[in-house]
Amino acid sequence: MRRTARNTLGAVAVASVVALALAGCARGGGGDNGDGNTATASPGITDTTLTIGITTPLSGATAGPGTCTVAGAKAYFGAKNAAGGIKFGDGKTREIKIDALDDGYDPQKAKANYDQLKDKVFAMGIGLGTPTNRAWREAAIADKVPQVLVETGDPIFSNKADSPWQLGFVPTYMNEGEAFGKLLAASGANHKVAVLSQNDDYGEGYVEGFKKGIEGASNITITKELTYEATDTSVDAQLTELAATDADVFFNAMSITPLVISALQKAQQLNWKPSWFLPSNTSSPKAILEPGKATAFPGIYSVAFSKAVASPAYADDEDVKTFLSDLKQYGDYQDVPAFPHCLWSYISGATLEQAFGKMTEPTRANFMEALRSISDFTAPLMLEGTSVNTTEDGQPAVSSVVVQKYNGKGYDTVQSFG
Amino acid sequence: MGTFVQLFVDGLSTGSIYAALALALVLVNQSTGMVNFAQGGMAVLSAYIAWWLTTLGVPLIVAILISVAASFVMGALIERYLMRRFERGDPDTAIVVTIGLLTLITGLCGWLWTYNNKQFASLFSLDTVPFLGASISLRSIGTFAVILVMMLLLQALFLGTKLGLALRAVAINPQSAAFSGLPVGRLLMIGWGLAAVLGAVAGALVAPQLTLTPGMMDNALVYALAAVILGGLSSPFGVVIAAWLIGVLENLAAVYVPFIGYDLKVAVPFILIFVVLVVRPQGLFGRKSVVRV
Repeated sequence: MRRTARNTLGAVAVASVVALALAGCARGGGGDNGDGNTATASPGITDTTLTIGITTPLSGATAGPGTCTVAGAKAYFGAKNAAGGIKFGDGKTREIKIDALDDGYDPQKAKANYDQLKDKVFAMGIGLGTPTNRAWREAAIADKVPQVLVETGDPIFSNKADSPWQLGFVPTYMNEGEAFGKLLAASGANHKVAVLSQNDDYGEGYVEGFKKGIEGASNITITKELTYEATDTSVDAQLTELAATDADVFFNAMSITPLVISALQKAQQLNWKPSWFLPSNTSSPKAILEPGKATAFPGIYSVAFSKAVASPAYADDEDVKTFLSDLKQYGDYQDVPAFPHCLWSYISGATLEQAFGKMTEPTRANFMEALRSISDFTAPLMLEGTSVNTTEDGQPAVSSVVVQKYNGKGYDTVQSFG
Repeated sequence: MGTFVQLFVDGLSTGSIYAALALALVLVNQSTGMVNFAQGGMAVLSAYIAWWLTTLGVPLIVAILISVAASFVMGALIERYLMRRFERGDPDTAIVVTIGLLTLITGLCGWLWTYNNKQFASLFSLDTVPFLGASISLRSIGTFAVILVMMLLLQALFLGTKLGLALRAVAINPQSAAFSGLPVGRLLMIGWGLAAVLGAVAGALVAPQLTLTPGMMDNALVYALAAVILGGLSSPFGVVIAAWLIGVLENLAAVYVPFIGYDLKVAVPFILIFVVLVVRPQGLFGRKSVVRV
């Protein structure tokens, strides 16, 4: 029995070390090689239907936004199907089907999902996640399967030379960071900025964009730059260090919802009340700013290209009303979404419809051509000043963003800082 | 000075979260001889029960108390109808079963309440009090105090009560314990039930800070296991000290040891475990196992 206890201790030690190592590894992305299978025919399309595959997290920490991506796409196409289907450029009207699988934000699973879907669907995409989308990117290129309108700000998906069968959907991390930098530089006043970023492409992209935006502006000083790991349970230490710099602006490139909430709370406890810049995916008024009591700060800025559906300001907006009823009826999503991802995939649906309308033959290659020829399309739910433009190489479908300021309930578009 | 104190105090507060879970791990181990990887998942389920009750209008403290009682029953039932089948066998099999249970419970929570973050009200206010140039939130102090009380109660249970002695006897040698007339099955159920109670308290303490999601405890469990190894599986006192140590050292190392920084601070518990296990295989405060030949 003593031996049993010792064995147990040993097993626990080994398991703990493995768990720690996994926690450490989990933050890396991962590329994966395809099996080199070349598909010449285009599966997933008939004269009456077209199937789109989605791999996205439906379980795990990112499942909230993940389930939203599927719900938004189902809402858009569900409504269109109910109205008779979508008219294609080849004269046929097709019903759009969605085949969605859960990857739990795990790159291996995402690749497995891709393998499972690639011969059944016409195109894949819409799902969120940088490491997960990267995991099947090379295989999709080798198999000539469209991987389109993916919800990641990683610029690699929009670079035609590297990614001929891909197209990103949301603005790149750089696009967002740069918008903040430009707004701040244009204010003319002197500002001290503290920077906290996630230690990966996401955080680096944001900071790079921000620095590009403030290039040459002598009124902006960066007091300190710190990072955190996506697996961390707390960023209190970083906030303590940053608060000590007395910066009046906090550039917080964070993608982990609970950490943003606790960061907002911690800054208040430290009595550090700067203006905040928050990325579009972690600045939800209901899910993050309200519990974080963000009204304590002089200003919370975020960027957006879609309307804040939860904001009372949009309660009577026709787009928003249609979207919310479609989401309930066809997306099987009963709440007003706390994440923008439902809206993004709804807009993706509208963008795909534009591409389908330009398709002259039912092939994947023809679809990619059609998809890359949409310019200045204002999809439902998009904010004034933003549009879908797929013609510019190196940029995702949406690269224009407007900076917004939190008003206690939702966001107002702002032209200047302060 | 202010920064150092702040980092130290914040470390204690984060460490308290790990400690809460670590205590539950120790309790199961001391009463059944195994390590329950599902402990984090069970704590999350308890927190969801409390949260769900508050959405029905039950006051927070009452909701937590009900979830604590429900958790005792849940822990006892899990022992009786699931774990008992594996308790006498290979300890590795039992560990794998608890990992399966963790996956099952996490999935169940997600299915029942979705994976969206839920706001769990805090028992303690977020107001702060100044202390040596740092500001400490009442929530941190409250969490710290609850952990301290739980640790003392547990230490007292094992060292000063007949129930504690019986629980330990069953864990060390169930057969001899049965021959001595101890109701082994019932004691095992009590051990699991009490551990689930500790988990429920941990869940209620942690949920306001991490916001309630099915995977809320996953990262915390890794640190809690580190604390258990470091402090010694048999010592409630030891694991709490170890958890605080990990929380504080992690913070200080990130800021004051340049080559560690925030990138490598996850390695701190790792290095600590390694060093401690080389020098003291039983953990800092654990009892050494002696085999009589």
